[in-house]
Amino acid sequence: MAAKVRDDAGGPALEVRGVSKSFGGLKAVQDFSLTLSRGDLKGLIGPNGAGKTTVFNLLTGVYRPDAGKIVLGGQEIGGIRPCFIAARGMARTFQNIRLFGELPVVDNVKLACHVRAEHSIAGAVLRSGLHRREEAAIHEQAMSLLGVFQLRDRAHEQAKNLPYGEQRKLEIARALATRPKVLLLDEPAAGMNSGEKVALRDLIRRVRDMFDVTILLIEHDMGLVMEICERITVLDYGCIIAEGTPEEIQGNPKVIEAYLGGAEEITGA
Amino acid sequence: MAISTADGPTASKGWLSRWVPVVLIIAAAVIAHTVLRQYMGAFVSKIVLDVGINVVLAVSLTLVNGFTGQFSIGHAAFMAVGGYTAASITYYVSMVVFGGPEPVAGALSTMISGRENVPLFAKGDAIFAGSLVVGGLAAAGCGFLVGLPSLRLKGDYLAIVTLGFGEIFRVLIQQTADVAYYVEDVKDAPLVGVMQVFSSPRAEWEAPIWARLGGPVGFTGIPTYNSLFWTLLVTGLTLLVAYRLKRSTHGRAMLSIREDEVASESMGVNTTRYKVRAFVIAAFFAGVAGALFAHTTGVTLKANELAFAKSFDIIIMVVLGGLGSISGASLAAVILTMLPELLRKPEQLVAMWPWAAGVVVVGVVCTLLAKNKIGGGAVARAGGLGMGLGGAALVLAGLGAIAMRAGLDLSQYRMVLYALALILMMILRPSGIMGVRELWERAFWRGGR
Repeated sequence: MAAKVRDDAGGPALEVRGVSKSFGGLKAVQDFSLTLSRGDLKGLIGPNGAGKTTVFNLLTGVYRPDAGKIVLGGQEIGGIRPCFIAARGMARTFQNIRLFGELPVVDNVKLACHVRAEHSIAGAVLRSGLHRREEAAIHEQAMSLLGVFQLRDRAHEQAKNLPYGEQRKLEIARALATRPKVLLLDEPAAGMNSGEKVALRDLIRRVRDMFDVTILLIEHDMGLVMEICERITVLDYGCIIAEGTPEEIQGNPKVIEAYLGGAEEITGA
Repeated sequence: MAISTADGPTASKGWLSRWVPVVLIIAAAVIAHTVLRQYMGAFVSKIVLDVGINVVLAVSLTLVNGFTGQFSIGHAAFMAVGGYTAASITYYVSMVVFGGPEPVAGALSTMISGRENVPLFAKGDAIFAGSLVVGGLAAAGCGFLVGLPSLRLKGDYLAIVTLGFGEIFRVLIQQTADVAYYVEDVKDAPLVGVMQVFSSPRAEWEAPIWARLGGPVGFTGIPTYNSLFWTLLVTGLTLLVAYRLKRSTHGRAMLSIREDEVASESMGVNTTRYKVRAFVIAAFFAGVAGALFAHTTGVTLKANELAFAKSFDIIIMVVLGGLGSISGASLAAVILTMLPELLRKPEQLVAMWPWAAGVVVVGVVCTLLAKNKIGGGAVARAGGLGMGLGGAALVLAGLGAIAMRAGLDLSQYRMVLYALALILMMILRPSGIMGVRELWERAFWRGGR
């Protein structure tokens, strides 16, 4: 398990303490805490509407938390803007794919390298040396990332023309191009068939090892989650109801109740 | 973009690719001004000036409406800011320095022929060049102010702010006093006196010099420095800057905001900063275009001529050309600027029909070839483009024929035709002629839908 990397990393890659968020009277997330050590591959599951995507939006700065602390690699990031959080090393994919559809595939990835570009607009217009070196490097990085995801041949197609599964892969590639320390994947397997899911499982593991990232994964496909995640956090109605290894989660009566419903409701998992 | 591999890691001739385009632009502007102008004649030269200025306006608006996907409908106001700023500089500085507003122009800054023994540059040109830059900077400053609300407002709401800015500037200009005609007036006028302007706008003797911009009568007597050289120089540089911007990480950042602001921000793009930057850069070039326009022969600068109607003209060019396509916006600007002149002479429109028919035939042949799997996407694309442009030209020729029969002046119906073209475009090709791509891009000709 992740214990092997835990020793050489200074602190946890991501530490969330008591984060809450409500919209009007609705308490979307309450007292959410989570610790990701370097190299972890953790799952975040829960029935529909449990607040999983809200957690992602809080972590990436799309929403500002009402209370609590979010610490990324030792730096407090609660309440700062998404672009600065991305620059500090957290990237995400989206549940409903949000690619830059009109732009070529390669430009989607290149854009995500923008965080690290240092040349100014004037440098770009005057074609300064720094601009040329950085653009060349960005191009190379983007193409090699596309290579990892077998999208190289599609580099110059418009992103919106890619088939669904490849769009999901491109989202991961784009997120990785920001060179994140922590990668948040929001339902990467949604809409995939079983063959694609197997490939995705291998891909996620490979990404973790190749790019040395810590991964937090939201997924509805229990088979996938149980298979690749080392630890799992379960949310229901915005609260953590269980945390543990896949085996522990599978046997947890609270989790079973949340998914299959108590006496009063039946929720599809 | 498709050609990005071309200047990938192998490109090493730094200063060459950096400066050669600039040198070429200057050379082309000089040649056009000195050699080609003699063949073009005064009328055609004047149209080329209009075309150049409109290309600059359309390309600069592309940065805002096309790249970052904001909707500005007050672009002409930036043109007006630049125009009035530059005009007041050249006019009043010339008054003080040369004792009168007449241009002290070199051979490159005059459209009057037969002045062969004049030096290329004269003293007045320096004032003019400076006024272009200052006019652009003044407009850029306004662009910054208008860009700030764009951080909180989107779509229609932002559009209304930009419209409001244009109206405010127009009304302010109309409150200003008449232009000072005599050197003594300029020397006697106070430098400060803000309140006097607004309390008694027509009190010419009290109005400070910077508030004597002609008011509703218009700014007359601006020295006519604009020439083919200056217009083509500015047009070329604008295109170069816009294209280099688009092909850089900054341009991608802007385009990504248009595509999906949330995703763009999450990938580390400071979206608010880039939205304001787009406004500032666009306003700068619009200001320079306004400055060129103000110094063109026969122009009286009037604020109400640079109001909403002018902004709308520029928007049509950008939307027809393709939101985000520099070459598309330029193409649309060229066509739409020449169109009113053509409409004025229906016999010229009618004379166009054999060419138009030829283009249509080529387009049809290409389409048929592509249908039968010969040649692939590029041919299909060319076919579509040919049929579209040729068909539009044929329709115009037909309109010209009708107008000749009925004795109508088609140029009166220009706005009706524009509106029709816009409606048709929105139905048939909502992303404009080009979409976000450029004419020379492989992806465009390969026919990605």
